[in-house]
Amino acid sequence: MRGKDVRLDQVSIRFGDAVAVQPLNLTIEAGEFFSILGPSGCGKTTILRTVSGFIEPTIGRVLIGGEDMAGKGPNERPTALIFQNLALFPLMSVAENVAFGLEARGVSKAERLKRAEELLSLVALTGYGDKKPSDLSGGQRQRVAIARALAVEPSVLLLDEPLSALDLKLRQHMRAELRAIQKRVGITFIYITHDQGEALAMSDRVAVMSRGRLEQVAAPDTLYAEPATPFVATFVGEQNVIRGTLRRISNGAASVDTPFGPIEGREVGTPAIGAPVLVMVRPERVTLGADRDNRIPVTLKARHLEGPSVNLECVADGQTLTVTLANGPAMRDLPNDLVLGFGRDDALVYAEGALANG
Amino acid sequence: MASLFRAYGRGLGALLIAIATLWILALILVPLGAMIEQSLWWKDSKGEITLQIDRLYNDMATLQLDASGESDAAKKAGFEAQIAQKQAEATALEAQETNPPKTYGLANFTRMSGLHFYIFIRTIIYALMVTALALVVCYPMAYAVALASGPRKAIVLTVALIVPYAINELLRVYAWLMILDYRGVINGILGWLGLVDLDNRGWIPFLENPSAVFLAMIYTYVLFMVFPMVNTLETLDRNQIEAARDLGASSFRIHRRVIIPHAKPGIAVGCIMTFMLSAGSYSVPAIMTRGQGGDWFSQLVYRQFFESNNWNMGSAYAVSLLVVCTAFILIMMRLFGVGLRDIAK
Repeated sequence: MRGKDVRLDQVSIRFGDAVAVQPLNLTIEAGEFFSILGPSGCGKTTILRTVSGFIEPTIGRVLIGGEDMAGKGPNERPTALIFQNLALFPLMSVAENVAFGLEARGVSKAERLKRAEELLSLVALTGYGDKKPSDLSGGQRQRVAIARALAVEPSVLLLDEPLSALDLKLRQHMRAELRAIQKRVGITFIYITHDQGEALAMSDRVAVMSRGRLEQVAAPDTLYAEPATPFVATFVGEQNVIRGTLRRISNGAASVDTPFGPIEGREVGTPAIGAPVLVMVRPERVTLGADRDNRIPVTLKARHLEGPSVNLECVADGQTLTVTLANGPAMRDLPNDLVLGFGRDDALVYAEGALANG
Repeated sequence: MASLFRAYGRGLGALLIAIATLWILALILVPLGAMIEQSLWWKDSKGEITLQIDRLYNDMATLQLDASGESDAAKKAGFEAQIAQKQAEATALEAQETNPPKTYGLANFTRMSGLHFYIFIRTIIYALMVTALALVVCYPMAYAVALASGPRKAIVLTVALIVPYAINELLRVYAWLMILDYRGVINGILGWLGLVDLDNRGWIPFLENPSAVFLAMIYTYVLFMVFPMVNTLETLDRNQIEAARDLGASSFRIHRRVIIPHAKPGIAVGCIMTFMLSAGSYSVPAIMTRGQGGDWFSQLVYRQFFESNNWNMGSAYAVSLLVVCTAFILIMMRLFGVGLRDIAK
């Protein structure tokens, strides 16, 4: 099996008057584990269905391995789709499920059952061929769906939130497993999810979508450390959002007037002087103590123990600020009045824009 | 029963059980029991007894004549005694005549004539053919209705399926009669086109062919085939269809491997309903053939009851039909691998 690259060229998708996907260009490299991350209704599933051939783009082209897919149905494309609910055939045995794609290609029964057995061993389900899907656990069903999709030797595997029905432990386990399978088979994976943890943990690159637009396409580390828009900043990970007015910019360093006094930060994009801006600080970048570039005196309101870390909920000037600190003896008896501090590089300054979760 | 009491309380629970019992008794056990009982006995023919009674009365009239002409009191008394004896005999026979003794046995079933048995078998075959044709006609329809979504679905459903059923069944059958009649709609159009010569009785005799009955029956019972199938098809996860297509399956294979296996309980229920209704239908063959296309068995049953006035024989015929229908249900259930539980769904 060899992966192929997928290119969306000025693709836009409309359902009647509703625009599901705004015109966008996107290139997914061959053999890449690529995630599309976004809240429900952002158009990510529409893109997946467009690549798999269930939807034709209203305008633009879909190219897989350089070949234009226009007019090709789902059964004619080198893709295989794993559905959110897996869509295993409940009346067929596990082996028949896995072999279905080969059956459709006219492969002889003996050969396709042999191939099914090989694929089941690839996903560590040797000997489960005669069972019905309903006899398997959630994680096992997941792996059957993967084996069934891999049976047709696709160049691109499309996954539509296949882990969302699993419980947390299993989900984390399956993340590692999916990643390992992708490394083993070497084909392109396009993974759709609304769970940023999944996207960050598994992907080579992640595209963040909002309201039918691409917000940012980047490697997980970049996405987390350098979010390009306020939406990405707030959708991926936690943020303290402080509103203010931009006073001065020099060499990427920005000074912002806020209700907590002036804050020194790093500008992202190009906000105009005097314009309203958003200052974003991640809770884990904040420390206690006065020896930082920026200082905000606050009142401790609540302390949430997470185990390895502690979240402090603080209030200043009617606004809640959150701090995540490593747990330790010092975290036991904290005074009510604290000073929060963070560095110049920890505060990102954005022009006013849409945030995730309102 | 305990859970019923827990869920609804004693009063309501008891009421529900009473209603269920009454339902089973009044609608299933009593009528069926009465019919089976009726089919298992007969009364001997009364001809012999009637003849004997007639003879006795003739003898009595003769004796009466003899007695009135006799002057000897002793002889006259002898005649009178003979008359009284014959009268007693006649009275006893008359009691037997009005209420002949019942004989129990299977004779009502074995006494079926060769012709009637032929009609019986032919009716079963016809009903099977109607069922098969209805299945072929209804499956695509059910599939289209089940998978159509939005307001279009409601329109297709109501207009195509429900509205005709708001019309009385007899009227719908008569409508087909008008369409297929010698001077009906189709022959009329053909005549107008010059393809048949109506003036010289050159019409196409649709109604003399059993397929006219098939057509009307399929039309009459379409809903009973379509709805069970729609119900099961609606529960099919459409992702399964898409998954099958994504894996490269042709439409034919998707139907054969994914959709039809899922729809099996609905197909079984639809076939059972259509078979039962068509095997037992009286009005459709009676109206459509008008005696020209050969009787269906249901018409024989009707005649046994209301023309021959032989309820025992009629019951036996009805029970035979019931047995075949029940066997058909069991065969369908076995064939489609569905249990009563699936059908109840």
